[in-house]
Amino acid sequence: MAERSELEIRGLVKRYSPQVTVGPISFDVSPGEFFSLLGPSGCGKTTTLRCIAGFESLSEGTIRLGGERLDHKPPHRRDVGLVFQNYALFPHLSVFDNIAFGLRLRRLGKPEIRDKVARVLQLVELAGLGDRFPAQLSGGQQQRVAIARSLVLEPQLLMFDEPLSNLDLKLRIQMRDELRSLQRRLGKTAIYVTHDQTEALALSDRIAVLSHGHIEQIGTPAEIYERPASAFVAEFIGSSNLFRARIMEQTSEGTIVETEAGLRLCCARDGEASGGPYDISVLMRPERVQVHAPGNGAGSSPNRFPASIAEVTYLGEDLHLGLTLDGGQKLRVALKNANAARSFAAMQEVEIVVDPGDIRILSR
Amino acid sequence: MSIQATSASLAAEPRATYGVRARPVWAALAAPYTLFLLVLLIVPFANVAFFSVHSYSPTKILLPELTLDNFAKLFDLYYLRLFGRTFRLGLITTIVCVVLGYPLAYFLARARPRVLAIGLFLLIMPLMVSTVIRVFGWIVILGRKGLVNEALLALGLEPVKLLYTETAVVIGLVNIFLPFMVLPLMASIERISPSLEEAAQNLGANWRQTFARVILPLSVPGLISGCLLVYSISISAFVTPALLGNSRERMAAQQIYDEVLVSFNWPSASSLAIALVALTLVLTFWALFATRRAGRRERAQ
Repeated sequence: MAERSELEIRGLVKRYSPQVTVGPISFDVSPGEFFSLLGPSGCGKTTTLRCIAGFESLSEGTIRLGGERLDHKPPHRRDVGLVFQNYALFPHLSVFDNIAFGLRLRRLGKPEIRDKVARVLQLVELAGLGDRFPAQLSGGQQQRVAIARSLVLEPQLLMFDEPLSNLDLKLRIQMRDELRSLQRRLGKTAIYVTHDQTEALALSDRIAVLSHGHIEQIGTPAEIYERPASAFVAEFIGSSNLFRARIMEQTSEGTIVETEAGLRLCCARDGEASGGPYDISVLMRPERVQVHAPGNGAGSSPNRFPASIAEVTYLGEDLHLGLTLDGGQKLRVALKNANAARSFAAMQEVEIVVDPGDIRILSR
Repeated sequence: MSIQATSASLAAEPRATYGVRARPVWAALAAPYTLFLLVLLIVPFANVAFFSVHSYSPTKILLPELTLDNFAKLFDLYYLRLFGRTFRLGLITTIVCVVLGYPLAYFLARARPRVLAIGLFLLIMPLMVSTVIRVFGWIVILGRKGLVNEALLALGLEPVKLLYTETAVVIGLVNIFLPFMVLPLMASIERISPSLEEAAQNLGANWRQTFARVILPLSVPGLISGCLLVYSISISAFVTPALLGNSRERMAAQQIYDEVLVSFNWPSASSLAIALVALTLVLTFWALFATRRAGRRERAQ
């Protein structure tokens, strides 16, 4: 990448105690990029964010923003806007005063403040609510005020700490889409912390998946979903069929592996795959497994197995099937609730086909 | 019509049942203390009010004729000075308590549980020692040959007169009443989420601006209750000013004591007591009103 990176984190380490350590973490964020830190609670994503904001001091490493060292500046001198998980609106100030808070600290003139606040209120679709107090607003509206309060200062970097986790599902999806279009329109560099993989996939240009204080993988949503670097990433993003397996042989068609339950699968060759007994995993995404009535499957796939349906879970849009293969291997399958899928019922005998390109070999 | 009526009665019913059931219970719970207050506070106080509107007689204590002279007398220079001094010392005590107590309250409100437990214990422990004993402690420290003056002499400095001055009274009052400032303040600061401080910093506020624009305004309810408590108990303090102050510069409670037990002018003492209570009540209601107004604005928290 020839492009200069906006945010540059090098070897960030935060030691809380000898046992509790985050890092070393390194990553770069390009100007205008929407970058997510994704991981389960306690993985260090919030710590990283708080280090950038200056609420935690680094034990080791450097943070640069626009080429300038950030890690020695006090929090109030960093040009970094943070939207808090609980919004952290000032309850004693009106919406207008909440948004004007930072502008007043910068000693802007009254007309200018009025102008800027009005414009940002328009932007987050809260025009006319300036006189309300935070307690008089709905969760979604409070969220918008929190975003407006950071946006109005036009920070170099915008950060979000699980901003949607306190909203109900419908609102969360709506706010998610609005957030994305807002960020695109303003072209602001953004860092987004979440434990929700759907949110991260929908919003991000790139995602860093964190686990136990270190980065497992950095990539675009498609890369992370299609080519997870580890079993942890595969498990954390999307649902998956993940089996311990060993490599049997390399053929012209691909790599032949055998799972612990004795299922032999042919996988498309993808880089080097080697190793002793059962020290790899194979991954099959549930929606990539095709299910047919026996003898109905098309073509000559190397991965064609008879199976019986153990259970059907009806989810409206989708059907989830639990399958048992001949050798006893269990498999989860997700199907769209379309004509063909509707005829499947428990105890039914079927045939499954998996394209070798849809099976991935992961090191454990 | 019937549907409307039914739904209306259904809507009204739960509240009505709740009210009918709840009332006798809470009356029963409040009754013992209400009785206690009635017999031991309201009735004696009515008696004091009765004394305050009757004339004084050196021989019979009380003459059966109504008068407002006792109250008119409170506007004499002597009494105006007495009130002035009492309110001034109360105010100084309150201000010193705020200055010393606010940082302490903030520290305790943000302390880890174990530190908080130790801090609270240290804060409240002095309340377990009798006021008289503590005041004697201060006499030892502040006296002409006390610790402070010994230390000044050892450093080659002039000794100062501390004991039997207003300064000694304020020191004694602050020492006793500080917890009454710290506890309500602490409760108020505890309710301010630390993320609000971080948000202020993130928006560009240094710690002074964070304090002035976020912490202080949000802790106003605690500040008002603390000030009210400290002010109203210091203007009615008796033991501390009696032992640490001098009798020419006395406070209101000492005057009342003298008039009751030395000059036996019960009507005059009563009017003084009534005036003191009335002023305290006015202050209390103002403070309650002010905190409720502040509270209404930030219902969310």
